[in-house]
Amino acid sequence: MSFLTISHLEKSFGVTRVVKDFNLDVEKGEFISLLGPSGCGKTTVLRMVAGFESPSAGNITIEGREVSSLKPNQRNIGMVFQAYALFPNLTVAQNVGFGLRVKGVPAREIAARVEEMLALIGLPELGDRYPFQLSGGQQQRVALARALAPKPQVLLLDEPLSALDAKVRVSLRNEIRAIQRELGITTIFVTHDQEEALSMSDRIVVMHQGVAEQVGSPFEIYNAPATRFVAGFVGTLNTLDAQVLDPATGRVKLGENELTLGRAVPPGEATLGLRPEMLRLGAHPGEAALTGTITELDFLGSVIRLRIDLGGQKLAVDLFNTTRQAPPKVGETVSLALNPADALVIGA
Amino acid sequence: MTRAASWAILLLGITYFVLPLLGMVEFSLSMRRGEYSFDAYAAVLADPQFRQTFSYSVVMALLTIVFGILLVVPTAFWVRLKLPRLRPVVEFVTLLPLVIPAIVTVFGYIRLYNTSSWLPLTGTIFGTNLLLMFGYAMLSLPYMYRAVDTGLRTIDVATLTEAAQSLGAGWVTIIVKLILPNVLVAVLSGSFVTFAIVMGEFTMAALLNRPAFGPYLQLMGANKAYEPFALATIAFIITWACMGLIQLVTRFTKHDKAGR
Ligand SMILES: Nc1ncnc2c1ncn2[C@@H]1O[C@H](COP(=O)(O)OP(=O)(O)O)[C@@H](O)[C@H]1O
Ligand SMILES: [Mg+2]
Repeated sequence: MSFLTISHLEKSFGVTRVVKDFNLDVEKGEFISLLGPSGCGKTTVLRMVAGFESPSAGNITIEGREVSSLKPNQRNIGMVFQAYALFPNLTVAQNVGFGLRVKGVPAREIAARVEEMLALIGLPELGDRYPFQLSGGQQQRVALARALAPKPQVLLLDEPLSALDAKVRVSLRNEIRAIQRELGITTIFVTHDQEEALSMSDRIVVMHQGVAEQVGSPFEIYNAPATRFVAGFVGTLNTLDAQVLDPATGRVKLGENELTLGRAVPPGEATLGLRPEMLRLGAHPGEAALTGTITELDFLGSVIRLRIDLGGQKLAVDLFNTTRQAPPKVGETVSLALNPADALVIGA
Repeated sequence: MTRAASWAILLLGITYFVLPLLGMVEFSLSMRRGEYSFDAYAAVLADPQFRQTFSYSVVMALLTIVFGILLVVPTAFWVRLKLPRLRPVVEFVTLLPLVIPAIVTVFGYIRLYNTSSWLPLTGTIFGTNLLLMFGYAMLSLPYMYRAVDTGLRTIDVATLTEAAQSLGAGWVTIIVKLILPNVLVAVLSGSFVTFAIVMGEFTMAALLNRPAFGPYLQLMGANKAYEPFALATIAFIITWACMGLIQLVTRFTKHDKAGR
């Protein structure tokens, strides 16, 4: 049995079903991200695990124990909020020690643990400061230390990086992941930022309108999206309507181009998903070729993004910028190579 | 408006407020013929009844403040946390004491809690004191509730509560260790207003026949010449001291930039 099990979880507010038949098994020490657009129910799932909302149906067990009937303060769960939520009247050290003080841990043990936690988050000097004297990044680190100090069974983070500016966000992302690995703590991380989810997680749950559309490793989610929503939400994806000419070999017609996918596809109409980085300029032996006209060119530094017209259908293509080759020009007709095995055939 | 006109109006206002005060203070100092003295004050302070009623009212004021805090802080917290839609209703209820005259309330009390009622509070001195304290608490409710509610607005009550809960804290811990300290300034200003109200309150104390400072002021005013003015000056100083203290605590507080 998994460390944390969520089965058939449902939540309705009035008549709106916000979470629908949500299932997830989390192994001990795993880092799971709930990824999805704003309003898809991520926070609601997290709040049910924490005990702030009670499920309309379904079960949540931690180490085999059903927790649905437990109050939030009985669950031994650490929580980090987007808005930091540090106690403004307490110093950093008092904030970090709060959970232990509530539990009645002796003062000397609290002091030792607080020192340990402040060292862990790299702020050993700031114990006597008040929250308003810290930067956003520092406050969020203190919030993390505060959540971890009582040694919770599970750590929940609800968009903890969204309020921070870009640079801090990336460095704190790595720091959180490093601390999580070091402590081996089972973690659920909520985010709407696909880059965050892809870079941090062991596994990602992509949510859409209250439903977990796909659960898988970042690699699986990106390279083999199970639904059209997942394909479109994670990464940039060109979706192209194709006509299936031969279902057995996967020969399809794409505008004025034809290509063979080399695997069976359902007959009729198909939707192909092509990542911008799957395509290369020029002809390459053994790969499928598409011909189109460049309509736009964005120079983004390391990457050049082209928009190509494939006879009615638009396609974004990313090329690496090299000094050895002059970039193509708008209006040129170019040949694009594609490994047919890479192309995604997207179902419903 | 011209500068001169503004000054003239300001001066007029100051005169309107300050002149009677000056007159009062001046008169309270003129008990001895031909020179200023503190004789009237000495007479007042030497009066055992003054000391009795004054200390009775101080004790009542402190009890009222404690009761008010115990009543208002958890209530305002709970309303903000769980019943945000009821806030206007609760606010309206807390404003009622400003509209309903104290005399109406106290007659209601006497009818409800007389010796032949189901809860005969007026039957004993302790019960009557208790009743008077509830009355005082009610009178100070508009000020206390608003102060605390405004204080709560400066913190993110819901998220802080959840953060504390996830760390294992129960309701008592949350209110005592988190909510109260964060609204302390508000609670203190509410407390000083309460103190000033209780020290000067007449109607309730008189009708419940308790030896409070307010009825004593009235009694002296009816029977003595200089002493009432000394008393009035003292009462006035107490009120202004309370206001000054409110200003002071508002200014001095180390985490007043409390984040949200
Ligand atoms: N307490 C609530 N009462 C009513 N509706 C709510 C409540 N909390 C969340 N919702 C609704 O549930 C949906 C999911 O919200 P949420 O879980 O916060 O989404 P996310 O965190 O993915 O942005 C939203 O449409 C939101 O309006
Ligand atoms: Mg959310």
